[in-house]
Amino acid sequence: MASSIPVSVPAEAPAAEAARGGRVAQRTRRLVAAGAVFVVLLTLMAAAAPWLAPQDPVRQSLRARLAAPTLEAADGRAHPLGTDHLGRDVLSRMIYGARVSLLVGFAAVMVGGLVGAALGILAGYRGGWTDTVIMTVADAQLAFPFILLAIGIIAVLGPSFPTLVIVIGLSGWVDYARVLRSQVLVLRSREFVDAILALGGAVPRIVARHILPNVLSTLVVIATLQLARAIVLEATLSFLGLGIQPPTPSWGGMIQEGREYLDSAWWISIFPGCLLLLTSLVVSRSGDWLRDLLDPTLRSE
Amino acid sequence: MRALLAFLGARLTRALVAVWLVSTVVFVVMRLSGDPVPLLLPPDAPRSEYARVAKELGTDRPLPVQYVVFLGHVAQADFGRSIHFREPAMRVVLGYLPATAELGLTAFVFAVLVAVPVGVISAVRRNTLVDQAAMGVALVGQSAPTFFLGILFILTLSLKAGLLPTSGRGDWTHLVLPALTLGAFAMASIARLTRSALLDVLRQDYVRTARAKGLREWRVVAKHAFRNAAIPVLTITGLQLGTLLGGAVVTETVFAWPGIGRLAIHSIYNRDYPVVQCVVFLSAVLFVALNFFIELVYGFLDPRIRPR
Amino acid sequence: MSGLTRRELLKAAGVAGVAGAAAALPSALAGPAGAQGTQKRELVVAQGGDISKFDPHYSTSANDIRISFNLFDNLIARHPDGKLHPSLATDWKLTNPTAWTFKLRQGVKWHNGDPFTSADVKYSFERTWDAKQNTRVSTVFTTVEKVEAPDANTVVFTTKKPDPLLAARVAFYGGQIVPKKYLEAVGNDAFNAKPVGTGPVKFVSWTKDDRIVLEANPDYFGGKPDFDRFVMRAVPEMAPRVAGLLKGEVDIITQLPPDQGERVSGHPSTRVAGALYAGLYVLAVNSKVPPLDNPLVKQALSLAVDRDLIVKELWRGRGIVPSGPIAKGDNHFDSSLPALKYDPSQARERLKKSGYKGEEIVIETTAAYMANDKPMAEAVVAMWRDIGVNGKVEVVEYSVRAQKNRDRTFKGLWWSDPTSTLSDPDGMFWRLLSPGGPQDYWRHPRFDELGEAARFSVDEKFRGQAYKEMTKIFLEHLPWIPVIQPYEDYGLQKHVDWTPNPNQQFEIRRFAFKFRRA
Repeated sequence: MASSIPVSVPAEAPAAEAARGGRVAQRTRRLVAAGAVFVVLLTLMAAAAPWLAPQDPVRQSLRARLAAPTLEAADGRAHPLGTDHLGRDVLSRMIYGARVSLLVGFAAVMVGGLVGAALGILAGYRGGWTDTVIMTVADAQLAFPFILLAIGIIAVLGPSFPTLVIVIGLSGWVDYARVLRSQVLVLRSREFVDAILALGGAVPRIVARHILPNVLSTLVVIATLQLARAIVLEATLSFLGLGIQPPTPSWGGMIQEGREYLDSAWWISIFPGCLLLLTSLVVSRSGDWLRDLLDPTLRSE
Repeated sequence: MRALLAFLGARLTRALVAVWLVSTVVFVVMRLSGDPVPLLLPPDAPRSEYARVAKELGTDRPLPVQYVVFLGHVAQADFGRSIHFREPAMRVVLGYLPATAELGLTAFVFAVLVAVPVGVISAVRRNTLVDQAAMGVALVGQSAPTFFLGILFILTLSLKAGLLPTSGRGDWTHLVLPALTLGAFAMASIARLTRSALLDVLRQDYVRTARAKGLREWRVVAKHAFRNAAIPVLTITGLQLGTLLGGAVVTETVFAWPGIGRLAIHSIYNRDYPVVQCVVFLSAVLFVALNFFIELVYGFLDPRIRPR
Repeated sequence: MSGLTRRELLKAAGVAGVAGAAAALPSALAGPAGAQGTQKRELVVAQGGDISKFDPHYSTSANDIRISFNLFDNLIARHPDGKLHPSLATDWKLTNPTAWTFKLRQGVKWHNGDPFTSADVKYSFERTWDAKQNTRVSTVFTTVEKVEAPDANTVVFTTKKPDPLLAARVAFYGGQIVPKKYLEAVGNDAFNAKPVGTGPVKFVSWTKDDRIVLEANPDYFGGKPDFDRFVMRAVPEMAPRVAGLLKGEVDIITQLPPDQGERVSGHPSTRVAGALYAGLYVLAVNSKVPPLDNPLVKQALSLAVDRDLIVKELWRGRGIVPSGPIAKGDNHFDSSLPALKYDPSQARERLKKSGYKGEEIVIETTAAYMANDKPMAEAVVAMWRDIGVNGKVEVVEYSVRAQKNRDRTFKGLWWSDPTSTLSDPDGMFWRLLSPGGPQDYWRHPRFDELGEAARFSVDEKFRGQAYKEMTKIFLEHLPWIPVIQPYEDYGLQKHVDWTPNPNQQFEIRRFAFKFRRA
């Protein structure tokens, strides 16, 4: 059975780790912390963009177009990462671009999480046909090259922030669903749940008190890995022209705009691309480490 | 035998469900945007054409009826006429398929041929510089967005070094960078998994026994370990075929490779919805068929369900 | 067998094979010949997009005319020297003030073997203005009352009023002659799929969005061109187009943006050749759509554009700022008229006066179909934003633009490169903006009156005055916002001996094109 999470590999086998007396665990905890710090910093940077960015990201300055990274360009300003084909400051655009990546990423993860959790709980609780249908749909969607469906949907409905969030979000609901479902199944085997329901207890309360605490750490792991996926998917769609539309800066869009100038002004594509790569790397690795730390049973075949 | 049939039956059902699901999403999305008929015809089409297509789709009938009609068309592989090419959409898409197949197969073969040996070596030479370097590269390959990887390759290997063409399809030199780009993720995944699967197996008791018996390391690896590590490796390798199909959309766009991925993207820009629908559907079918085939192979290999 | 085992033999064969391939590789990868001379017999050209139609009466865009002028001939041809030369007609003269008599060339055959006669000429012209056909060249010959073919080698044009420019009209779009017998037999669609003309090249195949293959017509009356095959490739992305030229895969590339000019001229085997475009790059306006129906808004939009900056930065100085709707080099170009002004404060004033309420104004642009189209659109919209206009750029594919052009469904403004077909305002802005013309989105009674009159007058002084007045009206109502008259650059291999036509006509006949033979 395949997972939509890219195949990840634990740092060490559990037995060996235990043998080392948790030293690896300590190291892993530090790495996760570092990853979290990175994401927090990135988020802060994105939030503080209007104050942090040296210039207006959509401000054109034709005199200084295609300028290499410099402290004084033809328009008299500093452009530490250069300018693009319309003279816009690459650094400023990258900072603002982080907003798009993080906003869409987090929103998509939430959408996926909510939908997935709801469907998973439904499948586990109802069982029978509902379960079969939901799980078959899940299996069918799993590892399917979702991007094809995504472009088909966006082609007809047009690119917009909500469409993007929903499409990217729905590409990842399955992992959440499976986890919640199995948790619900575990609980169902315990009679006290039936007792609570018979006494008129509400389902949401059961979810909150009995289900969520057990799966929280797993959900965090999934969410982290999904965040990396969502960020990359958003950048890919923007690169193809199906994501956030210009002139709003987005990393994928910047990489696309710089394609024509790769030989003469490589910085337009390369800097945002490297930041994207770094973000994807750090976030997905953090997800791996989190998983090793919290729930090695998530490791896929 | 029963186990095998049950297994196959389950997999086939899943395959059909996937295709049905994709078709349904396409249907729903087309209807969501309003009247689908204008989307499927060139703007200068005469009113008679409009009426004919409307009748064919059954837009005057209730939605469930339209859905059945739609499914009927899909079953016959009838996606209407491409607005841009003025030919049946399916014919256009099939025409571009060989290029994608060429790219995908090359990327796949390349990925496997490189990844498996690398994974094995990394496992055997665990924690050495070779292992760490290889796994580091694999990590980057797995996390990097495919389109950016392609751009990096173009910048370094084509533009700066002048070794290879920047784009297009032609002789074998044109195939190198796109195949490398497309196969990177698969290569990285397979390498990492091979390493970990092999490591797992190498820790098993029977391997220790073999070692204790005095067999040379590489013999241990080749004879005992590898065969057992093969199953998970095969599974994951097979699954990569599917991700290759998805990655093809981006790779073909970056390298202007004339396959169905690039066709899909250009058809979106051209507002040629019949072709877009057709590519989405055909990809679903292809993907599902490939996966089904792989699971067949897997079923034969797995001793639990192999027919006796 | 000698002592070699089969395994060793195979190994040796493998090594030999690899060595052989490695040796062959450099020559396979290298171009067909040295940088200055060549033996090649195939001309490969890459342009910024695929054609939309072969049928010369149904498309006048740059990508299409590069092919249609070579598949088909006109009665008269305008050569790169700017003069009119005989083509399918050997002689023409004014036999009375409203009648022109053309003597046709004898012995010319269509590509399918049918003989060329005056019946084809009559049919072709009548087709252009046939309302049922709805061609894109319907306003080119509105001065003509009728065409007659008194015998197989003679054609007589009767004009409604004296038309001094008829010969020039016949030489450009709309004047391509199509085969009556073949067209009537197969119909428009089949004709477009397998075109038949009299030109120096014949149709072989068309792979959509990839390439058009044409072969030389050995019986061409002007002599067989200096190649056996002509391949026109569609490469919409600029980077691979330039890369193709630099690698020697392509002989000529079109629509070369100035940014890339230095790369091409700096490369040892290539050079840049350009000509001041006989026309303008303008933002055409759909003046039917508010707020673009308000002249004050359009004036504001025009005043907000810093054309000097665009010419200097986006075009590296390769262009001039226009002064009105008439291109430099055309008749009646008024060199005393100042270049279009840049004055953002005046622009803001006019915008305010116009009562503009912040409605969205959209430029629908292609990317790399016209040189610098997208970058200019982005620059212009930013300039508009600076004066408070809610401007937006939307990128559309060339095929979508062609559709919108046909159906007149542009949302606001779009790039147009009106070509001066007659070296005269009558063939440029009047052809396009006249009632019933392809860009008929705005009417003005005095403007229309003057245009009609100027078309039919033989008094150049009168015409000069008329165009002066029309320019004033134009500048007030701005059915176009002219932006630049650029140098249109092409990239060529040094072994190509060819000079570009200022009017985008891609001339490959013997008198204009040859390979430098080593």
